[in-house]
Amino acid sequence: MIFRTPLEGIEHPEMEADVVIVGGGPAGMACALRLSQLIDAHNAEHPEAQLSKENIYVLEKAREIGQHCLSGALLDPRSMNELLPEWEKDAPIEAEVASDSLYYLTKSSAFKAPLTPPPMQDHGNYVISINRFVKWLGAKVEETGITIFSGFAGSELLFEGDRVAGVRTDDKGLDKANQPKANFEPGYDLKAKVTILAEGSRGSLTKQLTTKLDLMQDRNPMTYGVGVKELWELPAGRVQPGQVIYTMGYPLTTREYGGAWIYGGKDNTVSLGFVTGLDYPDPHTDPQHALQSFKLHPFVAKLLDGGKMVRYGAKTMPYGGWWSMPPLGGNGWMIVGDSAGFLNSQRLKGIHLAIKSGMLAAETAFEALTSGNCSAKQLATFQRKVESSWIKQELYPVRNFHQGFEHGFLSGMLNTGLLMATGGHGLLNCYPARAGHERMLPLWDIMGYPGGREQLLGWAKGDGKLTFDKLTDLYHSGTRHEEDQPAHLVIDDTDICNGRCTREYGNPCQFFCPANVYEMEDGPDTPGQKRIHLNPSNCVHCKTCDIMDPYQIITWVPPEGGGGPSYDGM
Amino acid sequence: MAETILVIAEQREGKLNRVSFETLAGAQALAKQTGWAVEAALVGSSESLSSPVDEIAKTAVAKVYAIEGPALEQYTPDGFVVALKAFIETNKPKLVLLPHTYQVRDFAPKLAASLGALLVSDAVGAKFDGGKLLFTRPMFQGKFAADVSLAGDGPWFASFQNGAYRGDQVEMGEGANVEHVVAASGEIRTHPEAPFQAAKQAVDLSQATIIVSVGRGIKEQKNIAIAQALADALGGEIAASRPICDAGWLPMERQVGSSGQTVSPKLYLALGISGAIQHIVGMKGSKNIIAINKDAEAPIFEVADVAVVGNLFDIVPVLTEEVKKAKA
Repeated sequence: MIFRTPLEGIEHPEMEADVVIVGGGPAGMACALRLSQLIDAHNAEHPEAQLSKENIYVLEKAREIGQHCLSGALLDPRSMNELLPEWEKDAPIEAEVASDSLYYLTKSSAFKAPLTPPPMQDHGNYVISINRFVKWLGAKVEETGITIFSGFAGSELLFEGDRVAGVRTDDKGLDKANQPKANFEPGYDLKAKVTILAEGSRGSLTKQLTTKLDLMQDRNPMTYGVGVKELWELPAGRVQPGQVIYTMGYPLTTREYGGAWIYGGKDNTVSLGFVTGLDYPDPHTDPQHALQSFKLHPFVAKLLDGGKMVRYGAKTMPYGGWWSMPPLGGNGWMIVGDSAGFLNSQRLKGIHLAIKSGMLAAETAFEALTSGNCSAKQLATFQRKVESSWIKQELYPVRNFHQGFEHGFLSGMLNTGLLMATGGHGLLNCYPARAGHERMLPLWDIMGYPGGREQLLGWAKGDGKLTFDKLTDLYHSGTRHEEDQPAHLVIDDTDICNGRCTREYGNPCQFFCPANVYEMEDGPDTPGQKRIHLNPSNCVHCKTCDIMDPYQIITWVPPEGGGGPSYDGM
Repeated sequence: MAETILVIAEQREGKLNRVSFETLAGAQALAKQTGWAVEAALVGSSESLSSPVDEIAKTAVAKVYAIEGPALEQYTPDGFVVALKAFIETNKPKLVLLPHTYQVRDFAPKLAASLGALLVSDAVGAKFDGGKLLFTRPMFQGKFAADVSLAGDGPWFASFQNGAYRGDQVEMGEGANVEHVVAASGEIRTHPEAPFQAAKQAVDLSQATIIVSVGRGIKEQKNIAIAQALADALGGEIAASRPICDAGWLPMERQVGSSGQTVSPKLYLALGISGAIQHIVGMKGSKNIIAINKDAEAPIFEVADVAVVGNLFDIVPVLTEEVKKAKA
């Protein structure tokens, strides 16, 4: 597996830890908070055997808590009710869902479904900004005395044989050529009894772990979508707080999977976004373009007219479901939240599952700490806890939902009906799946492909009011990185990019990346010969490239901690 | 025999580095807790030491050593390590404290290693707790503080970060004895050049009245000369958009835009710059903007006062000549 070349001969300061949680999103924060609650309860009952929280750490690569969190977002309150009863009283909530509707869009019309299908009915859920929500949750964690290291990424797992023995944080102060600068500070080795991976979608340490231990054998590959989001301020009265609109259809055709959301927040802000399945056939497909075309649809353009775009961002989501989840616990490690694929693809909701998975992992870690047993056997009980919880009750019946769409939209809809009638079983208990990048077609196969997809292909132009080109959108993500650092997009062999990929796929990275990280520029020697150029400081950490590259030669590793988007209010 | 704390104060060209007082204050605080004596030492040539030694001798220290040698006129790591190693071996202080300066960063690890001793660098505090010396060091970029204790019998070394103690709170004394010590000498492998003068100040684009800025349209590094010639003719500064600096064709400090400088000159000439918002936010405050670009739809024209649609390679050399003529 390709990773950034480590520096030779550098000593890394070591620190002992009981539990290290990598990633301060909803799963990681819920895990830390639950762990603290269990320790408090234990300490109240056992004054003679006090447990300390001093050696529990959360690593978060964003400079501030919540700045890399992006979602729609709708929150199903079930797990929050368990974690913090009466949480609604002081949590930042945009609005309670007031109405929901589903539309099917053709190029110029919108048809409203007479009934919103049950999985998309959202009464009792809340519209939230995941950024504000996680900031709030993070403050609760800090109150407990657990330390959150913001601005520090988990850059490498430490192994002792097959046991995960902790995490190394990112080296700081390296230049473009991977040489130490004057402010160089080596990463820390956090030697942990239990390491919990809560990195979000396509976590880089999770990838390291699943590859090294071959955890995905006999499982479906994970499938993903990329959500491209804009936050808008609209004239009053256009969209009600708590109004939820889903759309299917245009600008996608029946060959792509995906759809849009529009959520009304408070103060006339509206979250809107477009999810494009990362299993599309045409290599020129551009998910940021899909969002722009969606906004040009009369149904949407009318809503947004006179409004102002205030924030932009993108993030992948894992929706392969139950059969594509890795084992959840092993020797020294557990995987929670999006990193493990805790997401209901039919409801397009995962925050509540991420929180619940974090809580169950905390219970497992607590038992391990109190019994002094952090073995594979002990931590694998996390798997059983998940299976006997409501997580399985929710995910198992939709275990074959996404696979049904692998053959297009219509067979997907038929299959959904069949699955609902058979309790999720359908014709097979486990429908197989293919990794999305394998479904991309080479240029010669796409030539005779049906048309009507111009609205998805290539870069969007943007009119500067309703629609935006990628760089303008990117500007609104608030993304910043130290420029003088090694590229954090590690490409195994750029000769493939400059030769084979140009011929076979036309360099799809230029299109699927929603942040203009990948560019093909004129080479210095042969006219017409393009070569790949990276702009790593544009990266919004969505992981699309790691997922969708047809040759699987791109590995996303964390850049120097603190860099990345600033998703205020997203 | 009572133990001693030795503070190595720093001087440069006969001037005492004030941060030495902070380290002395730290040593005095530790001495109160341990009951150890505080002594100070300075290294240099006898001329350069005379004034700093007097200043240090006014503080409440038991003794001041002036470690003198002609070879120490200028700082070299070898010279300082040889002199201090011999001195420490003879005087056997229990603890050696230093200010965490650039010079100390340079020689202290070598000095400690040559004595087989431990060095705690960049400490922000120290205390004597239960018979044990504890130094506080920041970790995780200051988010965390670790208490570090020292194994073995010493001598132990520690350096204090700027601001760890307050230099104005150093206790003054009655005038300490000064002992002049002839420094041990050994092979000095480095030959210092004349002291480094601060480089010509990096360009401050925000002060420039005329800026000629280039973008991708310049195509190749060697073509930057064309723009430089125009900048020279106008008496302005050259600048660039991000791709140019990213490629290393111009230094980063000449980058205009959201990840570079924000400028507002009287005249901003944008040559071959398309005008992505990331660049526009850095220059839109310019009084007059002239943009030259092949692409009539380039967004730069939306902020330009004068828009020239054309090939910069045809236009700029002619423009340069005209400017020269007009100025002649």
